[in-house]
Amino acid sequence: MSDRPAVAIVGAGITGLTCAHALRDVAEITVIDRIPVPGGVHGWEATETRELAPACGAHLRLGETAIRWDGLTLLAIGQDGPRQMGAAALVIATGARPLGRAELGIAGGRPAGVVAATVACHLAENGLLVGRRPLIVGGGDWAMRAASELRAVGAERATLVCPDGLLRERPNDVAVHVREHDRVVSVAGTPRVRTATLASGETLGCDAVVLAHGVAALRNVDGAVWAGDRAVYAQPLADPATVAQARAAGAEAAAAVRSLIDQEERP
Amino acid sequence: MRDVAVIGGGVVGCAVAWRLSGTAARVTLIEAAHDLCEGASKGNTGIATSGGDCHPGTLELELVRRSSPGWEALCACLDTPFHRIGTLAVALTEEDERRLPELLRDAQDTGAAAEIVTGDQARALEPLISEEARAALHFPDDGIIDSIRLTIGYAELAARNGVEVLRGAPVHSIERDGDRIVAVTAGDRRIATRSVVNAAGVEADTISRLAGGEQFRTWPRQGQYWLLDRELGGRFRKVVGGVPTPVTRGIYCVPTTNRSLLLGPTAVDHEDRTDRAVDAETLDHVFHAAQRLAPSIAREHAIKTFASNRPASDPTYRIAVDAEVTNLVHAAGIRSTGVSSSPAVAEMVRGLLEGLGLPVGDQRPDAITELEPLPRLLGHPRPEQLFARDPRYGQVICACEQVTAAEIAAVHGMAVPPTSLEGVRKRTRATGGRCQGAFCLSGVSFLHSLHAGRRPPQIAVSEPDATLGIGAHDV
Repeated sequence: MSDRPAVAIVGAGITGLTCAHALRDVAEITVIDRIPVPGGVHGWEATETRELAPACGAHLRLGETAIRWDGLTLLAIGQDGPRQMGAAALVIATGARPLGRAELGIAGGRPAGVVAATVACHLAENGLLVGRRPLIVGGGDWAMRAASELRAVGAERATLVCPDGLLRERPNDVAVHVREHDRVVSVAGTPRVRTATLASGETLGCDAVVLAHGVAALRNVDGAVWAGDRAVYAQPLADPATVAQARAAGAEAAAAVRSLIDQEERP
Repeated sequence: MRDVAVIGGGVVGCAVAWRLSGTAARVTLIEAAHDLCEGASKGNTGIATSGGDCHPGTLELELVRRSSPGWEALCACLDTPFHRIGTLAVALTEEDERRLPELLRDAQDTGAAAEIVTGDQARALEPLISEEARAALHFPDDGIIDSIRLTIGYAELAARNGVEVLRGAPVHSIERDGDRIVAVTAGDRRIATRSVVNAAGVEADTISRLAGGEQFRTWPRQGQYWLLDRELGGRFRKVVGGVPTPVTRGIYCVPTTNRSLLLGPTAVDHEDRTDRAVDAETLDHVFHAAQRLAPSIAREHAIKTFASNRPASDPTYRIAVDAEVTNLVHAAGIRSTGVSSSPAVAEMVRGLLEGLGLPVGDQRPDAITELEPLPRLLGHPRPEQLFARDPRYGQVICACEQVTAAEIAAVHGMAVPPTSLEGVRKRTRATGGRCQGAFCLSGVSFLHSLHAGRRPPQIAVSEPDATLGIGAHDV
C-alpha cells in the first residue's frame, strides 16, 4: 500500500487522463468512467487517449458510474456492484452537454419532437430519424453534426437557427438553411411539434426541434454538483471540445488538487 | 357486467378504484389518455395540505382533514414517498405581518395545527428563506408527496386486486335505460355496468352531459411551474410560500420527495382544455416571486418549465349521486386539493355506492392492501443490498436521477406498466433530471423497446401518435 493520498477522478476523457497523469507521482489515482473505454468525446483512438491511458499510472475503473460524494468517500456502481473509496480530493471531469429547453428559455407547449442534439445524433446513428424537416438550434459543432447526421438518415432539409451566429463553416449542403442571430422563443404542436416561433417574429414549420446550442457542465455525482467538499471541476465549456482545452483543464485541475493535498499535509 | 365503471385515471379516479378494489365489486377504471396520471395529478405542487389553508365548513376541508393523519401509513402501503415537513407562509411586508393573526384564527378554525413564528424562528426552521422575512405562519402537519407515484400506486394496487384498467379509452357515449346508466362505450369497448363514477377532472362536465346528468361546468385553471435542480431542492427543509391574500395563495417553493424544487403555481382560468403552454412573462413572475421568498434560488438551477390544468368548477367538491341519473356518482370539481383529499374522497364515493346497493360494503379477505416496494438506487443507504437482489442495479441508465436498469425493468413488470417514455419517467424519474434526457433518452428508449416489445420507430414519447422518431431509414 502506498501512503500517498488517494484522488478520485470521474471522467476518463482527455481532461481526466491529463489530470491523472500530472498527479501520478503525488497521489494514488483512480479514474472512473461510465463508458467502458477511455477517451470521452475524443474517443479511445485519439493519440492523446492512447498515450495517456497507459502512462497516467491510474487505476482505470471503466463501466462504472460515480453517484455520490459524501464525507470524502466516493460511491460508484457498476457491473461488479457498488464500491466505495476514500479520497483526499475528487475531480469532476465529466464533460458537457448542450443546453436544455428551460435553459434556452423556449416557451410554448410540450410537444413530442423537441430533443437534445446528443439524442438526435444517437438515434440517427441507429437509423431512427427524429424529423424530416428539423429545426436545429445552435451554430457550433453539435448543430453541424446534427444537421449532417439527420440529413444522412433522410431529413429532407434542416434549418439551423444560430443565436450566436454560425460558428463553423457554412455547411456544403443546399438543403441546410441558416438563420443567424435569431433564437427560438416558443414551440407549438400536438402531439408533435409543428411550428417554432423565432425572436425575430417569424414562425417556421418543422417536425422536430433539435437543441444544440450553448454548453452546460454535465455533473451527476451527488454532493459534487456545485460546491462539493474538496471537489475540483475540470470541465471546459466549449463547443467544440478541443483536445488543447481538455489538456489545459486537466492540468489546471491537477494544480488545484496538489494545493488541496498540500494544505492537508501542512499542520 | 361490471358493478362500477370509474371514469378518469387521475388521482381521484385511481383512489376510488383502489378503495373499491378490496371489496366484492367488479370494477373497471377508464382513462382517455394513454396512461394514468396525465392531467392535473401529474402537474401539481405535491403538497399534501393538512387543511390550514382551506375554508371552514366546506366538504373540501372535511375530506382533507380526514385524509391528513393517514398519509404515512397509506404511502407506506402504496410505495409512495411522503414527508411531513410543514409549510411556512412567510410575511415579507408589514402588511403581510399584520394579516397573520387573522390568518392564524382562520387556520385554527380548520382544526389544522398552525402557529405564528418570528422571522428568526422561521429562518431557524428554514435557513433558505429571506432575511426580509418578518414573521411566518407555520403549518407543521403539511406534507410533501409524490403525486404521480401516489396516483399510479392507487391504480397498481387496484389492478392487482382485479380492477380492470383501460387506458387510451376516451368515453364516446353513455347508454341509459330510464333514469339509469346501463353501459359506457370507451375506446373500442362497450362496458355494461351497474353504476358509474365520474372522476373525469376537467372533463367531468362532458361526462355528465354524455350521461344526460346534471348540467354543470368545469374549466381549466392553468398553473405554470419551474422545476429546479435537486442539489438545491435537497437543501430545503420546509415548503415555503407567501402570505395568502383574498385573491391568491401565491407562489410556493416546494421541495419534492425526489429532492428537486418546484416553484409555482400560477392560477389563470382559460378555456382550452388541451393548452399546456408556458410563456416567458408568467415564468418570470413565478421566478421573481419565489426568489423574494428564498433569495438563493437562481436561474442556473432551472431544469424544466411546464404548465398543467387543474379542474376549476362551481361549486367545488361535487361529490354526490346525480339528481337525474340514479346510478351516476360524481366526484367532480375536486380542485387543487385532489391529492390531499383523495383517500377520504374515495371512501365517501364508496359510501355513496353502498347506498345505491352495490357490493362495496365488506373487504374481501384475499385482497392485498400493500404493494411490495421497489427500491430505488437514488439516495439508498445500502446499495450493495440492491445489487445482491438484482445485478442490474449496477447499470445506471439515467445518471442525473440515478435510475438503473433494474428499476426500469421492474416497472415494466407492473400490472399497469408504462406504454411510453413519459410513462417510464413517471414511474422511475428516468429522463426527468438536470440533463432532461440529453444523455439517457437513447438508453431509456432502448430498454423500453426491449421490455415493452416495441420496435424503435413505434416508441412513443407520450400518446401513441407522438413517436420518438418519424420513421426508420435503411442505412
